[in-house]
Amino acid sequence: MEDKKNCTGPLMIALQYNDLFDLDSISTSTDTDALPKGRAFTFMKAVQTVNERLVEQNKSDCLLFEVILISKECSEEIKTKIVESVKHYGLEIGKFFFCKKEELINTLQSNKVKLFLSTERDDVYEALHTGIPAALLYDQADDHVFNQLTVIFSGDVIGFSEDSLDGLSEFGFSETQIETIKTAKICMKEFAVLIGQMRRRFGQENSPLCTCVLTSWGSRNVCASALKTLREWGLDVDEAFCLAGAPCSPILAVVKPHILWDGGLLNMS
Amino acid sequence: MTEFEFLGELSVLISLPKPENAVTIAVSSRVLFRTEKEQKVFEQKGIEEYLRYQVEHENEPFAPGPAFPFVKALETVNNRLRELYPDSEELFDIVLVTYNHAHVGIRLINTINYHNLFIERFCMTGGSSPIGYLKAWHTNLYLSADAEKVQEALAEGIAAATMFMPEKQIEVSETQLRVAFDGDAVLFSDESERIFKAHGLDKFFEHERENENRLLDHGPLKGFLEVLGKLQKKFYAKGHRMDCPIRTYLVTARSAASSGIRALKTLRAWGLEMDEALFLAGAPKGPMLEKIRPHIYFDDQMFHVEGAVEMGAIAAHVPYGIAQKYPHKKSTNAGK
Repeated sequence: MEDKKNCTGPLMIALQYNDLFDLDSISTSTDTDALPKGRAFTFMKAVQTVNERLVEQNKSDCLLFEVILISKECSEEIKTKIVESVKHYGLEIGKFFFCKKEELINTLQSNKVKLFLSTERDDVYEALHTGIPAALLYDQADDHVFNQLTVIFSGDVIGFSEDSLDGLSEFGFSETQIETIKTAKICMKEFAVLIGQMRRRFGQENSPLCTCVLTSWGSRNVCASALKTLREWGLDVDEAFCLAGAPCSPILAVVKPHILWDGGLLNMS
Repeated sequence: MTEFEFLGELSVLISLPKPENAVTIAVSSRVLFRTEKEQKVFEQKGIEEYLRYQVEHENEPFAPGPAFPFVKALETVNNRLRELYPDSEELFDIVLVTYNHAHVGIRLINTINYHNLFIERFCMTGGSSPIGYLKAWHTNLYLSADAEKVQEALAEGIAAATMFMPEKQIEVSETQLRVAFDGDAVLFSDESERIFKAHGLDKFFEHERENENRLLDHGPLKGFLEVLGKLQKKFYAKGHRMDCPIRTYLVTARSAASSGIRALKTLRAWGLEMDEALFLAGAPKGPMLEKIRPHIYFDDQMFHVEGAVEMGAIAAHVPYGIAQKYPHKKSTNAGK
């Protein structure tokens, strides 16, 4: 059980405050004590559930999730509100970073985050482009169950070979898009290895962590290749989906992931 | 994979239909393939051992299951449709929807490759209910080994049936898809079935006579017959009525002279043609099915399904309506 001897944690995830709190509805909110809940709330609760279950199994487990909050350009008043609101909701936020917009990438890099999560596609791709592991925080429309954290890995990004990815230029993908996909694969690996270790702490049933592969464009063999690669990386996923060009949203609406690694492929039509 | 193979793969995928345009058939792994051995491991030793077993045997393809000939026949129809209508998305789309864990994924994909099936879409839900996915795929028909899941699907308005593996299997056509349907509680509602069960045969005849001109309400498989009819018309439009690769059959215990009339009038009013309507007047269905050799036969009564399976016919149980509460007794199966 090597991973219990070497401490590979914590698994640091960075969120932006405008995902954690809903700043658009401040004016309509009647609660003056705290900022209104935002899109990252169910994610936070799910992460805390995983941590609780990990600690339940092993009090000294150091491979836990740690969430840090990044705020771009906000007033002193908002800064205070953020810290207060976090306390108010009982959220486990490890660190707060208040920085300028241009400093976002540096902040992420210097803190060695294992994952930058955002609902903003542009932020995610910019981060990926500089080699920072980044994924989409999937926008949950409703307050569903918090007792399971669901992570989707892109079968296309992992399953297509290097040559095949270069061939995507024949299908209208730009050089930048192809580069982003390749970088995403490299970034995904470290995260997948850690999630794999975490997943193995639990059994098949009643796990607070649910891992999936979703192949949007690739054939079944691309999906098989992704499954094999993830297994090599130490992660045997729970669920697998192969869409072969069918629209993703209906499927995602059923899976309801929190973390969606797509490398930029999912919003292609 | 070479770049050429890759590009070939991608172009094939681009030609796959959008779910809402296709006739989507969702099949579970237990009816597409034979997994009895593995099922036993799961039932006797639990999930962890089951998954370990599957991974150990990953490179051994499963044998074909009860839905296999049906799926092959769908592919044959697709090939003919593509020849005649190369740009159309009105095709069969087969999706594997299983609540198996993704650990079994590689074995399932290896098996699909081994049997050369054209299945590129699947959902392995890792134990979660497949029902949400069925809706997401605009499923027209769901085939599974699990009666509970099938009932859930029916409750959501999705045509569904449970399939069973025959011990011996009669040969089916490789060039023509043959689908046979029971009438009451399958194509039609179970209203007449209810009268029969509650008040007996005479009351049933009386009721059908009195209501001869009132249409029967629709049953869970009416929609599926409709989409088959739509595809058939595409073949007729190009002069292929005589050699249409889809043929539909009504196999009912109603009798032609009396209670069958209402069934025919209803079908006509719905604009649905069946290639053959067989009124058995209560006679056993097995011999007729042996003659027809359907790729699938839908019936709401387990008694008939079991009888069919015993003869080697591929039958599927539609757990709908009053027959589920009152299992058939042999002695009361007089002419309807």
